[in-house]
Amino acid sequence: MQGSDRFAAFRSPVGRMVPLVAMGLIWQAVSATKLIDPSFLPSPLRIGHAMVDLLTGREICDNLFVTLARAAIGLALGSAAGVWLGLMMARSPKFRAYAAPIVGGTYSLPKSALIPLFILWFGIGTATTVCAVFLSCLLPMVVNTFQGVASTPRVLVWGAQALGARPREMLWQVFLPHALPDILTGLRVALGFSFVLAISSEMIASTNGIGKLIFMYGENGAYDYMFAAIACVVVVAFVIDRLLLLLTQKCLRWHESATERGPA
Amino acid sequence: MRAVTDEKAIVPKIQIQAVSKSYPGDKNPVLALRTVDLSINEGEFVSIVGPSGCGKSTLLYVLGGFLEADGKVLVDGKAIQGPGTDRGVVFQEYALFPWLTVRNNILYGLERGALAPEERARIADRLIGVIGLKGFEDRYPRELSGGMKQRVAIARTLACDPAILLLDEPFGALDAQTREVMQDELLRIWLETRKTVLMITHDVNEAVYLSNRICVMSARPGQIVEEFKIDLDRTIPRERLFTSDAFNKTRNEVWISVRQQALAAEKLNARV
Repeated sequence: MQGSDRFAAFRSPVGRMVPLVAMGLIWQAVSATKLIDPSFLPSPLRIGHAMVDLLTGREICDNLFVTLARAAIGLALGSAAGVWLGLMMARSPKFRAYAAPIVGGTYSLPKSALIPLFILWFGIGTATTVCAVFLSCLLPMVVNTFQGVASTPRVLVWGAQALGARPREMLWQVFLPHALPDILTGLRVALGFSFVLAISSEMIASTNGIGKLIFMYGENGAYDYMFAAIACVVVVAFVIDRLLLLLTQKCLRWHESATERGPA
Repeated sequence: MRAVTDEKAIVPKIQIQAVSKSYPGDKNPVLALRTVDLSINEGEFVSIVGPSGCGKSTLLYVLGGFLEADGKVLVDGKAIQGPGTDRGVVFQEYALFPWLTVRNNILYGLERGALAPEERARIADRLIGVIGLKGFEDRYPRELSGGMKQRVAIARTLACDPAILLLDEPFGALDAQTREVMQDELLRIWLETRKTVLMITHDVNEAVYLSNRICVMSARPGQIVEEFKIDLDRTIPRERLFTSDAFNKTRNEVWISVRQQALAAEKLNARV
């Protein structure tokens, strides 16, 4: 096909950088020609300088670490609780009757709207951020786990029972493995939410963390440093997301979605 | 009636007594099975044929212990308590665990048994050889063809050495050629092990080729309306058997019986 061949170059690792480099050049040009006031939109070169300055100091690393720790704790707790709740909802009609309306009602609520409430309860600091991350991760995990467990074909369940599986074993050997692709899909969504909520809650309810740092640079008009800090977040978030994708591929080698191993 | 109790089989291996099963429907419950009675002796191969949707799979699920039903289901004279490893089940949809390799699927039931790990591995290796999947031990089900998957499913069930095999349209999803190969394999395994088999099928040829006895089921609510004893020489090759008068005579009798039930089912549906 000719149409797709024309873009083949963009699919190589180097080729994929082309649009990013082009955007950087346009940005630089817009800045250099003062089309947009450079104090509002600093040029990539100035951001680069700021970045070098930031990376040689400890500030960015320390704050990034604080944020990642908060996000990781919230994500871990939210995912664990979400998997458990989703599993319970799928396996117990009684539990589902109670939980489903709550999940349905809160699913579309932007969790950041609750940050003021958490400030009231937990004050400024880690607890508030972790709580916001926890809540944002919980629902995608609940919904995806529920979907994965509830869609387990009955013949898989019966097949395991006929081979002597006990009820407790069914959970780990049938329901959770069957739900794993959905759970990992939920985890990727939750990972994205965890960054969003960690940073946005730090902006208004923290004394440290990368969110607070970005917010402070913005408040003080140090836009080049602000952009440099944002760039750091982008890179870290991208790398973590790719790592999760790699892990997913490794865990789901058995799944229909996995790439073929070639003819037998 | 011919006495079948002259040997040791005093109690039938399987006794299904007045089993009825209904499902909750939109308004009224739908009766899937109505007072089904069926006894199967040890070592017998019984097939159930009937129009689609007549509840023949339901009967197998009840016997497997997966569905509750009214009436009695006895194995060796004792009422069954849910699913058990004494009744191995092969489903039309294979029901392999997609996250386990061929070997681990076959080992799954064994790992719940009392055997030592070396013994389990030996059984798995032997079965992998029997089903002709040497070299595929570490493949996942998604990498196998339908026929290969069903072979693994059968091996997985045989690994636990159940006294009874329950086969739910085991070859229904396979193409005609693969189906014949698998039927021959099943026949060979049955001749070797003489397990008690209950097979659900809609393929009359398959039923006549494999069974000692065929039960024809009526349209919903399912009842056994006719039984055929099959007395064919299992040792002669398929081609000769299929072209023999004895085979064709039996096949036609069963086919006409099933067809009557199917036509009755259609009439019933047209009226509703």
